[in-house]
Amino acid sequence: MLVFTRRRHEAIRIGDRIEVRVLRIGRDGVRIGITAPPDVPVHREEIYDEIRAANRAAVAPQGDLSALAERLRRP
Amino acid sequence: MPVDQDASSPDVREGLARNAVTFPDGIPGFEACRRFVLLAADSSAPLQRLEAIEGPEAAFLGIDPRLVLAGYRCRLTEADLRALGADSETTLLWFAIISAEADGTLVANLRAPIAINPQRMIGRQVLPDDGLYPIRHVLGGKA
Repeated sequence: MLVFTRRRHEAIRIGDRIEVRVLRIGRDGVRIGITAPPDVPVHREEIYDEIRAANRAAVAPQGDLSALAERLRRP
Repeated sequence: MPVDQDASSPDVREGLARNAVTFPDGIPGFEACRRFVLLAADSSAPLQRLEAIEGPEAAFLGIDPRLVLAGYRCRLTEADLRALGADSETTLLWFAIISAEADGTLVANLRAPIAINPQRMIGRQVLPDDGLYPIRHVLGGKA
């Protein structure tokens, strides 16, 4: 991992299309601004991790789904 | 699309490959799965099944989130639309992944639905930052 020291308003550039800028430094958090082209997905890590865990837990049962479907059709 | 049949026989599978939906980025946790088919059968409506036809085995049960919550809407970013080869006018298919928890409770992931552009056969799991809807939305009907 590359490690940099940055002060407020200073930035890091990743390639020529991505900029990561320190906007504000607080006691418990740092506010960061990301500028990236629209084809580069940017997510908070915990959101991605949460969705990945939910997907892994969701792998579907094989076989007849009609009983399960019946439960969903019931009001 | 979705395909109205059971995916068990090899002949059917070959037919399905022609109806494959490509997920250019895979799905979080299943990044190596790039091609899926969406299966629906009358007997299991409104459930659908999204099954990987390449790479590691993966299959998800799901439902159109608009059938779960009236007025459900998921905002797509420019990046999402571009990845789907869609614009704001394109009619997309929506699939909220369902999972069965240990006690039999069925929950639907309304937070991060899968969007499919049926014109281009491209799919993508959308990860909105706004968090309007829960990852675990409990569905009615006990086991």
